[in-house]
Amino acid sequence: METKRDKNPAQETWEYTAVNESDNLDLFMGLSEPRPLIKLADSLGHEWRHLRKAGQEADKAIDELNKLLSVEVGKNFASEDANLVVFGSLARKEWIDYVSDLDWTYLVDGQARSEHLEVSQKIKAALPKDSRPPQGAHSRRRQDREYRFGEPGQTGTFGNLGFSQQLIHQIGGQDDTNKNTSQRILLLLESTPVGMRSAHERVARAIIKRYLDEEPHLLVRDGSRFKVPRFLLNDVVRFWRTMAVDFASKQRDRGGDGWGLRNAKLRMSRKLIFVSGLLTCFSCHLDPRLQAKISTGNRDIKLAHLENHIWEYVQQTPLDIVALSITKHEVERQTAVQLFSAYDKFLEVMADREKRQRLKDLRAEQSRTDPVFLEIREASDQFAGALHQIFFNNKVFSSLTEKYGVF
Amino acid sequence: MRPLGFSTGALAYGDFRCALRILAETDATAVELSALRQSELGPLVASLKELDLSQYAHISVHLPSAIEPDFESALLTLAREIPSEWLLVTHPDIIRSWRAWESLGSRVCIENMDKRKEVGQTARHLRRVFGQLPDATFCFDIGHAHQVDPTMGEAVLILEEFQDKLCQLHISEVNSESKHDPISLEAAMAFEVVATLIPENVPAILESKIPRGIDPVAQVTSEMELVDHLLSIPVEVVGD
Repeated sequence: METKRDKNPAQETWEYTAVNESDNLDLFMGLSEPRPLIKLADSLGHEWRHLRKAGQEADKAIDELNKLLSVEVGKNFASEDANLVVFGSLARKEWIDYVSDLDWTYLVDGQARSEHLEVSQKIKAALPKDSRPPQGAHSRRRQDREYRFGEPGQTGTFGNLGFSQQLIHQIGGQDDTNKNTSQRILLLLESTPVGMRSAHERVARAIIKRYLDEEPHLLVRDGSRFKVPRFLLNDVVRFWRTMAVDFASKQRDRGGDGWGLRNAKLRMSRKLIFVSGLLTCFSCHLDPRLQAKISTGNRDIKLAHLENHIWEYVQQTPLDIVALSITKHEVERQTAVQLFSAYDKFLEVMADREKRQRLKDLRAEQSRTDPVFLEIREASDQFAGALHQIFFNNKVFSSLTEKYGVF
Repeated sequence: MRPLGFSTGALAYGDFRCALRILAETDATAVELSALRQSELGPLVASLKELDLSQYAHISVHLPSAIEPDFESALLTLAREIPSEWLLVTHPDIIRSWRAWESLGSRVCIENMDKRKEVGQTARHLRRVFGQLPDATFCFDIGHAHQVDPTMGEAVLILEEFQDKLCQLHISEVNSESKHDPISLEAAMAFEVVATLIPENVPAILESKIPRGIDPVAQVTSEMELVDHLLSIPVEVVGD
């Protein structure tokens, strides 16, 4: 066998120059590339100030959350087998400091140990320690303090321990609860680890593989392309419909409290998650780099290629997945501008403490006349119009929408 | 025919002479002389001329997996005393002075890492390493890859990208505490996924821990037979 080794015999002369460790780690840590969203914004000449600001605030908040927990819980708050995973606006890089809630799970993928509960309780106790005096109409006040990392919602989906077993194995069937479905799909589409990341990656990859394992055929009939993974797609669709149904259920359970804010999120950020899931599934059929790998290997290797492709996609935020899809498939400039301008407007309203509080207090019956809600409705109509253009009028996506998106 | 053998560190931790005595009673055709601790490298290098390694078609040395920063220069000096045809299996995170390592050319054989290390587990990280050491070769540790990603998706990425650099395999099961175990059925099934991406003449070094109280020669032979079988299973292409 001729190897690289045979071609390059070691040189005879050498010199040693010491370098410091941080320089060495920079080699590995400096891996980040510009976000597809930012690249698209720059190429279209749009500022989208609120999108950029939310992304920067998210990066800063993750960094400072990591530092806070390292101090308060100890450096080992995350290990190779148990990672703190954040969801929601922080993971989507739509974070509004001191306003957004922090959805988190202490995800265990390894030997279950009693210490895991203790760490998760310590995390819960540490989060309120980053606080400041109240600064506006909307705040998460408790005893005159405003909390940077506010408690997650009331459903119990977040803010506690989570285990990989049920996420990977209970897909569908009687035991796949709303909570489990939400955690699983959100782990794929809007999550990021804080601190160590190995458990998060293993679980996400295992979930993707689980979906693909159930596909009887990975390729279309003539073998020229990967199919859209239907099992994953159907679960993404189910998750979206579940969120929409739960919206009505929460309306009843909570007597209308928080209707305006929940409705705004359903129209925009929740819909965005669904859209990013659809685009991820469609990309399996469309991505030319992935199709180029078809000729090599058996089913296991093809499945690994598909899994790697999906994993590569879902490591990005939903906004970046949409931006990437728009860029790759030459969606009209006007549609891209309409979509992200609408989302930028949504974040602007969400970041305005008075408007946010007004939405929170708004009841359904006031929605047709409330000026803040009308702003949201205008933005969400623009957003929905752009999505309609992409999924129903763009020649690349429309046939897939017709085939997979409805029946 | 694939050279197949064991790491001396797996057979007798810190005692390469004892390990070589066990291996001498087997059909092993490859060996990796292990100096995983910094203090082991000097004595190993000093004794190389006395060792009978004539049964092995492939020999490598595993350099220390962690070193004090000021030992790097001494390590490189010792490495140059090792016969030039042997590979120097290296964890990428011990390297600080990339330029000095680059002068060792293809003898530097970079190993992919387990989940305990901050760097070196993924194709993305390894791309950075080989960007610094373009002539370096690659030791693919199947157990590490399986531990980092049990689906073996990352393993496929790594092997496809660095197949032309591949000069050695490390084979074992790596458990959740990053210790090497005998190969389990689950790990064996995962190895089969990537077997087709590994050329049949790449030497394989086993790192399976040999349990105490069991005849080590029989155990070594049994593990080698299992690995030989796993890596030579004909590929059955069924469906897509």
